[in-house]
Order: sequence, then structure tokens, then C-alpha cells
Amino acid sequence: MSGLPIRIEHVSCSFTHASGTVVDALTDVSLDIAPGEFVCLLGRSGHGKSTLLRSLAGLNPLTSGRITVGGAAIEGPSAERGMVFQEDTVFPWMRVQENVEFGQRAQGQPPVKRALSARHWISAVGLDGFAHSWPKELSGGMRKRVAIATVFASGAPILLMDEPFGSLDYVTRMDLQNLLIDLWTRTRRTIVFVTHDIEEALVLAQRIVVLDRGRVVDDLPVRLAQPRDEEVRAQPEALAITKTVLRHLGLARPGRPAAAA
Amino acid sequence: MGAWLRNNWISITTVFVLALAWEIGGHLAPTSPLREAPIVPPWEYVFGPALIGMSDYWKIQLFAPVPELGGARTYFGALLAMGYHSALTLFRVSAGLALGALIGVGLGLVISVSEVTRRMVATPLHIIRMCPLLAMIPLFQFWLGATNWSAICYVAYGVGVVYFVGTLNAVANMPRHYIETAQTLGASQLLIYWRVILPAIMPELFSSVFLTLGLAWSAVIGAEYVGVESGIGRMIIWAEFFSHTGRMVLVTIFIMLYSTLSWVVMRSIAMRILAWMPKAHGQINPLS
Repeated sequence: MSGLPIRIEHVSCSFTHASGTVVDALTDVSLDIAPGEFVCLLGRSGHGKSTLLRSLAGLNPLTSGRITVGGAAIEGPSAERGMVFQEDTVFPWMRVQENVEFGQRAQGQPPVKRALSARHWISAVGLDGFAHSWPKELSGGMRKRVAIATVFASGAPILLMDEPFGSLDYVTRMDLQNLLIDLWTRTRRTIVFVTHDIEEALVLAQRIVVLDRGRVVDDLPVRLAQPRDEEVRAQPEALAITKTVLRHLGLARPGRPAAAA
Repeated sequence: MGAWLRNNWISITTVFVLALAWEIGGHLAPTSPLREAPIVPPWEYVFGPALIGMSDYWKIQLFAPVPELGGARTYFGALLAMGYHSALTLFRVSAGLALGALIGVGLGLVISVSEVTRRMVATPLHIIRMCPLLAMIPLFQFWLGATNWSAICYVAYGVGVVYFVGTLNAVANMPRHYIETAQTLGASQLLIYWRVILPAIMPELFSSVFLTLGLAWSAVIGAEYVGVESGIGRMIIWAEFFSHTGRMVLVTIFIMLYSTLSWVVMRSIAMRILAWMPKAHGQINPLS
């Protein structure tokens, strides 16, 4: 387990549009994330989830507040915080193995060592036999596996994922959710995962942080056993979480008390 | 070969019919008062008297007789003269292209580093692009003399501007998330340039390559028309002095052959370097 706690302190972030209107993407967000935690950031689209994640990655300047990782304030992107995007970010001009090796190459690891580690992670994501394929020869789901292998192989203790499975079909998404949980259980890296899908959050997270209009409105622990199959997700505790989240998203059915538990 | 013939018989027939039409035209057109120069030279004239006449341009008393010094005209001398001047022109084109590509792409990548530098060059670059290339020949020859070096620099300038603009646009248009992914994997700026930005813009750069091939040939022939006293473009001017229409057609055919050949070579290089590219995915594929 890698010991780099994340501390987000009073972070605000606003953008000025070309038209001159100022949009507050994040308002006074404070959050502590312990090493090895799997946190899902949940909320409607445009309510600050991605902005918070990009701020964590160091890809987005803050208007005020600060973010520290292991006590040190972050300044820009770093190899300790790997990111998986919703877009297809596997480099199409590199074969699978070269892609997976890229993080270690950036850190100056010797070729033999990074090749061994790449082989290990390619196998861990179930892509045995595809090390020398071009990304164009793989399906969208397989390319996501490459992206996951790349970020794990880079050795980053903190993994940031911005709706990585958003563009995939239902079955592929479930496969990849299981893969991710499996890798997380084995490595216990810290994972911050942005999604707008309550079910996905219930399958993955130890903790669900709900964002609404750029503020943290709830922070729910999820104490369900893994694997979170449909029976686990039908337990009263899971339903209670779903109802609470729906209420925050403004989707609770009228006439019924939302927080039953 | 059989399959190729079956797939392309329409194009082949068209070329054949055009060549035939030229031949018929050659025999129908009135001959000019100068008996040496038919207005539309038919093929047997181009590859007969015109071809052997090229030996007039062989000036070295070695390998073949020199007609200028009273020697006989020979086909071998003609081929030597064509080969010598072709080699000079090919050297100028390839050196100019290589130099222009290197400087254009390099400068484009350096300027792309920041928004400020990009804005700085935007307007001057636009003005330079609008300046007709051929108008610059006299100036280049005034600066550098009517030499090999001058022709190379002129070609390099002509194609360099295209590569420069192409690189700037390609970098500006490439998906940001590739760079961001590399950054979050801890890549240095240098590694990002070398392993992410350069390969990402390669498809667009190859569009510039195909664009500049034609441009480079025009530029070098232009430079040879106007001043440089050698090369295959100069041969046309020599032929024009005596209204040798057959020789003009012959040289033009050679130029066409060379530029087609350079295109084929570039295409096979592009196919190898861009092997990773998905076929037809919304993006313009320079290979198709």
C-alpha cells in the first residue's frame, strides 16, 4: 500500500468564457482521501466532477485553495498521479507494449525492466498475445484495457479516472469494472473515479462523494461486500444509497420519503 | 501484372488514346517554316531526331563525341547529356526538399511551444505565404548567385514555408488528451515532442510532403529557366533558343517521369511510416 494521502482544502475554480461570463465550476471543496481508497465522484454532468479530477491531476489551475498529496502541494501533472480519460488516449502510433511501457520510459527505467513490467500488466488486463498489435487492430474495450495497463505499469500510487468506461457498451463496461476492482484489490492503489452512473459507483466505490453545482453535498461510505453483483446491489443498504444519491440529483420521486434508511 | 491490367485497363486505354491523338495531331498540324521544328512534334520525331539532338548538350570530350567540336551526334552522347543534367536537377530538388522540410518542421515545432510565439509569427507568415514563389527567383539569385546552392536554397524556401505552416496547424489541431496523458505519466517536454507530438502530426506532415513534391519541381525548373546555367530545366531554354519543339517535349516527358517517380517513392515511405494509421476514419488519409 502506498502512503500518499490526498488533501483538498477549500478549492474553488472558476472559468471565464469567451463571452465574458464567469462560471464557478468548483466552490469551496474540501475532501480528504486516504491512501488505498476507491472513491467515486458522482454528480450531474457539468457540476464539477471532471474539473475536480483535472485539478487533482494538475491539469487545471485553481482559483483559490490548495491540494496536497503526501503533504506537498501539487504543481502541475506528475507521474505519481496517473490519469485515464474518457477519450481514446492510447497512442495509435505505438504498439501495445510500447504504450504500456511509456510511463516507465518517461521515468528513465532501463528497457529490459520496463519490458518485463509491461508484459506483466498486459497479461494482468487480459491482453496476452496482443503486445505487438497496433491499437487500430483492437476493439474500443481492448484499448481501454491498454490504457489501464499503462497507468498501472507507470507505478503511479494515485490513479485518476474520468468516466473511462463512458463510451463503452454495457457488457464491455461490466467486464472492465470487474477488471478494475480486481486490479485495485490486488494493488490497493488510491483510485478517484468520476462517473455519472449510480450503478457504476455502487459496483466500484468504497466511498461515494456527490457533487452538485460545484459543491460537495454528500460523502457516503459504501460498506457492501465485493463482488457487488446484482444481489448485493439489491440489498437495503445499497437501495438506501441509491435513493440518497437520486435525491441529491433532484430525481427523487415526489410523495415518497427519499431517505428510508 | 494480369490483375493490374484488368483493374486499370480503362486508364491505360485513355493514355493510349491521348498519345494516339497527339500523333495524329502531329501529322495534321502544318509544319513551321523551320524544317527542324514541327509545331506538334509526333512521337517518331521526339524519340528520333530530337533525342539524338540532345547530344548537342554533351560538352565533355570523354565517353562520347562532342558535336560542338565537330563530333558526330550519338544516342549515347544524348543519354549522357540528359543523365548529367537530370542528376544535377534531382540533386537540387532532393537537397532543397530535405533542407526545407528539416527547417520548416523544426521551426514549426519550436514556435508551437507557446501561444505568444504562435501569435507573433501568424501575420508575417500569412504575408510571406501570399508572396508568389516565382517572384522571388531574381532576388535569390542576386543574393546567392546563379549557383547550385542558390537553387537549393530557393527550393528549400518554397517548400519550407509549406512545412512550417503545416506543422503549426497540425500541432494546434492534434488532440490535447494525448499530451495530457503523457504529462500525467511523467513525460518530459522533450519526450512529449519526440514520441507524442511528432508522430501525432506525421499524417498531416505527409500531406505537406505530397503538396511540396510538385512545388519543389516547379521551383527548381523555374530557377533553372531564369538563371542557373545547368540542369534539365535549362535544357528546355536551350531548346527554345532554336525552336527545337521535339527537344522541349522530350525534356518535359523526362520531368514528368521524375516527378511521378518521386511521388511513388514518397508514397512507399509514407506507407511504411504511417503503418499504424487506421484506414478511413474521418481523417484524410494521404495514402489513398
